[in-house]
Amino acid sequence: MAHIPDEILQAMVDHAKDDLPNEACGMILIGRSDRQMTVHRVTNTAASPYRYEMSPLEMMKLEQKRDSENLDLFAIYHSHVASAAYPSPTDVRMAFFPPGETDNEPMFPETYYVLVSLENNKPDVRAFHIKKYGEISEESIESEN
Amino acid sequence: MAVTVNVTSVIEKLVGGQRSFESVGDSVKSLIENINEAYPGFSDQILEEDGELRRFVNIYLNDEDIRYLDGLNTELTDDDTVSILPALAGGE
Repeated sequence: MAHIPDEILQAMVDHAKDDLPNEACGMILIGRSDRQMTVHRVTNTAASPYRYEMSPLEMMKLEQKRDSENLDLFAIYHSHVASAAYPSPTDVRMAFFPPGETDNEPMFPETYYVLVSLENNKPDVRAFHIKKYGEISEESIESEN
Repeated sequence: MAVTVNVTSVIEKLVGGQRSFESVGDSVKSLIENINEAYPGFSDQILEEDGELRRFVNIYLNDEDIRYLDGLNTELTDDDTVSILPALAGGE
């Protein structure tokens, strides 16, 4: 089960709406000791309604921030503007390095992949782990105030 | 040329668990060859069989994507910083 505060869920939905018509993407970092979460918007360099590609330099800077501020990567999120909040075959393929090499360990086995769907009027947010061999495991979200 | 190489957590497994290290090369291509000598198998993950940079790997010289410079032939000078980063991507 993924415990995610309401304001963090809302921040991801807001980001998804702000970046319409394109997909939005970003990361949630969490303090190793205080468990405080922060949402970090990352530029979608693909700038597309169908694809996202996180700015590699922004990703690297967030990784340096994680190291220096004792944070973990809690979740990688992105939006689907016209499809369900469920990992697409591309999402699964790209969770591995090299892409599609699902016999390898996934790049981020402990990290939630959070999908924000704007397909319907009411945004839908769901969380998953993507595991070896491309297995998708949904983790229910428990929102907290 | 002596340069600093930065990688992310995904790539560090290919270079002995280091996030940042020193290496040498007159160009990005020769830098990759030198890293591969120290860490065999590195270049297979970074380059296609024809020697081109894999689509899902990004290399930056300082803060510039080498695809917008001279690709793998981009020349290096002392004290440059080269960042080798996998793409984090997806889509519906």
